[in-house]
Amino acid sequence: MPQAESTTNANSTATATTTDVLTVQGVAVRFGGVAALSDANLTVRAGTVTGLIGPNGAGKTTLFNVISGLQSPDRGTVRLLGTDITAMKPDRRARLGLARTFQRLELFGTLSAAENVQVGLESSVKWWQWRHVKRAFPWTKRGVPTQDGVPQGEPTGPGSTAATTADRLLEGVGLGGLGAHQSSAMPTGLARMVELARALAMAPKILLLDEPGSGLDDAESQALGELLTTLAAGGMGVLLVEHDMELVMRICDYIYVLDFGDVIASGTPDEIRRDPMVQAAYLGAVTEVDGVESAAVQEPSPKSGTGPEDETRQVGER
Amino acid sequence: MSNFLQFTVFGIMLGAGYAIAATGLVVTYTTSGVFNFAQGAVGMIAAFGYWELVSAHHVPVLAALVIVLILGASICGAFVERVLMRRLHGASAERPVMVTLGLMVILTGMATILWSPTTQRTVEPMITGQFSLVGINIQVQYVLIIAVAIAVAIGLRALFYTTRTGYALRAVVDDPELLGMSGVSPNRMSQYGWILGFMMAALSGVLLAPTQTTGINIEAMTLLVVSGYAAAIVGRLKNIPVTFAAAIAIGLAENYVLNYVEPHLPANLQTDMTSALPMVFLFIALVTLPSVRLRAVGRLTSMKAPRVAGGRESLVAGAVFLVVAVVVAFAFADTNIKGTTLLTLGGMVLTLAIVGLSLVLLTGYSGQVSLCQFSFMGIGAFIMGKVAGGGSLLGLIAATAICAGVGALIAWPTVRLSDLYLALATFAFADAVATGFFSDGHIYGAGGLMVGRIVLPGLSLGSDTAEFLLVAVFFVLCAWLVLAIRRSLFGRRLVAVNDSPAAYATVGLDIGFTKVAVFAIAAGMAGLAGGLYATVQQIVGTTDFDIFPGIIFVLFVTIWSIRTVSGAFLAALTYVVLNQLWPSSIGIFAGIGIILIGRAAGGILGIEALHVRLPWVKAPSGTSDPSGHLTAFGGTALATEGSRAAG
Repeated sequence: MPQAESTTNANSTATATTTDVLTVQGVAVRFGGVAALSDANLTVRAGTVTGLIGPNGAGKTTLFNVISGLQSPDRGTVRLLGTDITAMKPDRRARLGLARTFQRLELFGTLSAAENVQVGLESSVKWWQWRHVKRAFPWTKRGVPTQDGVPQGEPTGPGSTAATTADRLLEGVGLGGLGAHQSSAMPTGLARMVELARALAMAPKILLLDEPGSGLDDAESQALGELLTTLAAGGMGVLLVEHDMELVMRICDYIYVLDFGDVIASGTPDEIRRDPMVQAAYLGAVTEVDGVESAAVQEPSPKSGTGPEDETRQVGER
Repeated sequence: MSNFLQFTVFGIMLGAGYAIAATGLVVTYTTSGVFNFAQGAVGMIAAFGYWELVSAHHVPVLAALVIVLILGASICGAFVERVLMRRLHGASAERPVMVTLGLMVILTGMATILWSPTTQRTVEPMITGQFSLVGINIQVQYVLIIAVAIAVAIGLRALFYTTRTGYALRAVVDDPELLGMSGVSPNRMSQYGWILGFMMAALSGVLLAPTQTTGINIEAMTLLVVSGYAAAIVGRLKNIPVTFAAAIAIGLAENYVLNYVEPHLPANLQTDMTSALPMVFLFIALVTLPSVRLRAVGRLTSMKAPRVAGGRESLVAGAVFLVVAVVVAFAFADTNIKGTTLLTLGGMVLTLAIVGLSLVLLTGYSGQVSLCQFSFMGIGAFIMGKVAGGGSLLGLIAATAICAGVGALIAWPTVRLSDLYLALATFAFADAVATGFFSDGHIYGAGGLMVGRIVLPGLSLGSDTAEFLLVAVFFVLCAWLVLAIRRSLFGRRLVAVNDSPAAYATVGLDIGFTKVAVFAIAAGMAGLAGGLYATVQQIVGTTDFDIFPGIIFVLFVTIWSIRTVSGAFLAALTYVVLNQLWPSSIGIFAGIGIILIGRAAGGILGIEALHVRLPWVKAPSGTSDPSGHLTAFGGTALATEGSRAAG
């Protein structure tokens, strides 16, 4: 169990338990001659927020891509609720309960914010079934079909359950009333929340968030932290990549530190804060301000727009 | 044995010609990220230019080569990069494809005007003579082609992998900004790439021209490079040695099939086999190519989405359209233009508009480029003429269903790959069908295939008026269907898969299934249009569904707006009107139009300044400024929202 473990150094092997929602074991990825991930291991338990931190180019986004199926690993396995998903396509993984957001926004830019969320909500709906096809006809009665007063299915279109639920999800991430806006026209911070709402629409068992806090101000970042904590309290596993150390240290139950494609440490926030290897690689010296220990992050906040290829380049440069 | 060696030498020579053209494609793609569909047309212009200089004006061969390959090709390459391609940076993915197609139809249109297709032009070999080796006669021209191809492949490989310029040329597509920071102008590198690509195209055209024993032909020379496509694809559009080897293999295979397999086929299938070979090679290359990795590119489409009419609004608009059609049908029942009734022309406009609607669905919504919608039209027309004696509703149903099935088969091998490969597959399919199927005298018959007007029980639709109204009804139904699809769950998925394939997959949706499904629907719609077109014209012939008219029509739809029903209709109207007025220049109009529209993804109808809001149309919601702070987060309720909706 991650929480029970003390700080461990590189190459620690994650041990699966029945509550482990995600297990990554020995994952390695090379881009040409550059190793983006050497031997990545981590576990995310249901009902916890797990942090994944590290300098730019450490391999965090590459690891997210491996977990979500956008990148095949050269070695290692990824398990979701005990099922080996290493060779599965991204859509199958998503249907098993894995959702993610992206460091560089991947919105359906032509669609409105609400429609973005609807696509996530309706992902399990088979559009070719007649009950969905017939809703395209203008004379079809809109709204929620009921049977004995119980809503049935997920009809589409304005006023449908999906549309209503999309609005509620957007409201939940702080975008109440903005559902009709074209998502590509939204500022980055708001657009990130559309991505989050779309991911939540899939009712995931594990949620991968790649720098969701960038573009948010302090109050919004605070609210995001509360939201993630609440989601975890509901039983969801959350894996968070974030450079806002204050947010990470406040909400994460367990943290993995990645550097040069290796997990160099893992532990509780307190343990990570005090780990000398982590301080040297990423956090910097632990200082005491007004009686509270805090770690000064050495790395500047990452520029938006760094992706796996950028990481490769940075790894190569170093 | 000597025959085998003879075929082998000729095959290697043919492959060497393909290799030069294919490496040109690879060079342009590597340095600009653009697949130049005009590569063959550039080679064709070079071949005709060379013929003009050497044969018509008796310019010495060496001087002609310098003028065509060094001066002409480099100036044209630099011009195309500077004027056409540079401003497309950041445009939607299909736009560079459209612009190179525009360039192709401009060049073929110009060639048709400059060099009458009825005149036979034979290009003499640069070096005449032959020699004997191990019992076979080898022309010196063949040796020259093979030697030049080897030199080009080695030279380009050395350039790209051993020089600073070569590294910069390769880097310019990956990260032009980073290249700029290292002190190298990305624009200049891209321009070098286009110059090199044009020179390779011209070289292949000039070298292969003397091998055309019946003389150089505009269309044949332009499409000669299709075999090079397969080689470039095997080389994954970046590996020159693999591309070279694949081109040689294709040249050999083509020659062996032509000499060993074709003679054993029935006479009527021999031409079909020859025409289908490039297509077969291309599909083999596509099927064997490993899947491309789905990448999160972080490119956020910023195009303003066109307004989609609601269900009732589209019903009302459809009804109004039909009323106008009735008025036109009776007001102009006896009007003739150049010997054709106005209503027949109107019927052609409406059937082509249905093809335009299929492009709205396919390219406008889902972002896939198809260059073979006219081929589906032709297949639909053929089926219409053959099923139930022609003129039957059953024929329309069969045309739609069979074309949908064929469409699915074409799309299936390419869905694992990027959308460019689908465009290539459809280009090759259009070429193969036009030259191998439609041109076969047994398909449409020597005088064309007669198709009767549709007969319904108790209802005569034999007159032009009735036919026009019938086609108008089908157009309205198809337009309504396209809009209904866009408003539906499936429509949202089409737009989503175009905007971000990576996000599409990570929300649990199958990209391949969606793409094949929409391609099949669009192909079926084009097949239906073909069936209707046949009943309007009452006779369809071998040249009605050629590859070039099909491409020109795609360009017109893009020029007007490939995302709207109005765009499809206006494109069809423009096409038919221009085809009546200036048939030989229609390609030039389309090419110039697509170049002028440039990166404006919404086409003419998407230009904001032209938008006039009708008083009864409500302003779309979501137009206020969305900037500002997030409102309060509602975490507690949210935790269960997704599961409630999904469950």
